[in-house]
Amino acid sequence: MRPTTVPYGERYNSRYMKPDPVYTRSALEAKNVRRLYKSSGRGISDVSLSVAPGEVYGLMGPNGSGKSTLLRVLSTAIAPDSGTFCVGGTDGLAEKREVRARMGLMVDRPTHYGDLTGMANAYFFARAYGMEEAKAEGVLSELFDYFDLTEYADDKVKTYSYGMSKKLALIEALAHGPEVLLLDEPSLGLDYTSQLAYQRRIRDLSDDGVAVLLASNQVDEVESLCDRAAFLHRGKLLAEGTPEELISSVEGVRRIVATLRNPVEYGPIAEVGGVQRIVPEGRDLVFHCDERPGIVADVVAGIVRTSGDIVNLSVERPNLEDVFVKLTGEALRDEV
Amino acid sequence: MRFDRPDAYWKKDVALFFSRRFALLLKMLYPVAIIVPVAASGMPAKYAAAVIGIVAVMAGTFGAGESLTIDLNDGILARVALTPLSPYRIVFEVLAVNAVLDLLQLLPALLIVYLLHPVPLIWVLAATLAVFATLVTANCIGIFIANFTSSPADVLLYATAILFPLIYVSGFFRNQNPTGILETIRGFIPFAYANDALKTVFGLSTNTTPLEILVYPTIICAALAFAVCLTAPRLLSQRP
Repeated sequence: MRPTTVPYGERYNSRYMKPDPVYTRSALEAKNVRRLYKSSGRGISDVSLSVAPGEVYGLMGPNGSGKSTLLRVLSTAIAPDSGTFCVGGTDGLAEKREVRARMGLMVDRPTHYGDLTGMANAYFFARAYGMEEAKAEGVLSELFDYFDLTEYADDKVKTYSYGMSKKLALIEALAHGPEVLLLDEPSLGLDYTSQLAYQRRIRDLSDDGVAVLLASNQVDEVESLCDRAAFLHRGKLLAEGTPEELISSVEGVRRIVATLRNPVEYGPIAEVGGVQRIVPEGRDLVFHCDERPGIVADVVAGIVRTSGDIVNLSVERPNLEDVFVKLTGEALRDEV
Repeated sequence: MRFDRPDAYWKKDVALFFSRRFALLLKMLYPVAIIVPVAASGMPAKYAAAVIGIVAVMAGTFGAGESLTIDLNDGILARVALTPLSPYRIVFEVLAVNAVLDLLQLLPALLIVYLLHPVPLIWVLAATLAVFATLVTANCIGIFIANFTSSPADVLLYATAILFPLIYVSGFFRNQNPTGILETIRGFIPFAYANDALKTVFGLSTNTTPLEILVYPTIICAALAFAVCLTAPRLLSQRP
């Protein structure tokens, strides 16, 4: 456990958050939340976190670490075994409907009424959140335009691609102007342009004081978008801080990314002294290594010994994935 | 009132009902295809009444039970439940709109029955209300079942287990003149009132009066609707 104090000053992503009295209270606060599934014994235990208005808080962890469970609890979908949480000072256990009205929610598997149009789905949710007719029409029209869905607004959702469904789910989460946004893997499945549009929107909302809790394993996304991030591992919050603070804790780690033309046996390369982990990312192999003289040459030699044909090689600064590896000895994503 | 921009749960269901045109055609035609030949055939009144009763019971139970189970498995209903809408209101709207849409499906067939077997207006009203009460009851059963089911096949299994005894006690086929405890139980089942009203429409007199048919099923359905709405928090909770 590496608890940190978080100063709301210079942001990691170069945006400057002005000191503001509003940051003295939390938009979302969870205390000692525990929820274990009886069938598997897994879940989350003693998770406490606080997200200030205007803050983007990233939640990272491998599959099964408890991210979605925590989001389910905070969205009032399931009750915790113990612990409490508040949204804008409202008790999330006692005042569920008020808390729901204050939140925008995007679940990891977006679902819609396939036989209704995209606009009908979004309009239904907007009105369910209490928006007035004219306002709902105006806001949805703007959001459909923003996310390039206007052309498909009157198509049935069952004809939408996965990415379009994700964008529709984002629209449904944003339309009613929530104080707190809970987003589970929001950018997964979005094309590059849509990812940029979504990130720009999140930044704008953050500037307007919306608190965002973002569960994601997209390291780049969390590093560029989040003011703070935390790791969940086996249901427990491991470490919390600004991305820069977290990354600074892994000095002495090198990240070697090799793009290979052909697949290779990883085993012999893992034997190279100083290699901690090997993680495949598409056509790339990412080596998490100790920083020592000659490590790059040794890794390259290891690849060559296994008949690997290197197309590209880069040595990168550590990122949040390396932090997780250092903290847990496990990979954030699929490991070799 | 715009259904292409639904602003309430029931309007969403109406929009969905009319959005699938081929399915809508089948839904509107199959009651006519089953009921009209029966009404025109000169079949004994008790069996003709039983056929209409069975169609109403099945349409109500499987309609609500299956569509709810599918929506719950998709996760869409759990997502709707995370809006500020009252879960009790959502379940009430599910019940009400499904019952009304089911009646809409049966109404053309019922009107043809009334044309083929003219009866005083009070009996037309009583029979129509009794069929509606049957649909409400069946939908209540379907919603209740959806609390425990994970697939449409489960709905069929659970519905069979619940409906068979109710159909028996209601006297659709056997048990036409129950006595003792069975008679008492029959008085609490709205299906029985529909059966009696339809028997009268087909020319078989029963001891049940139009007033009883108008009043008792209404009270029983109100109680059932209230009870089934109480299951809302469980019904709309996320499935593991």
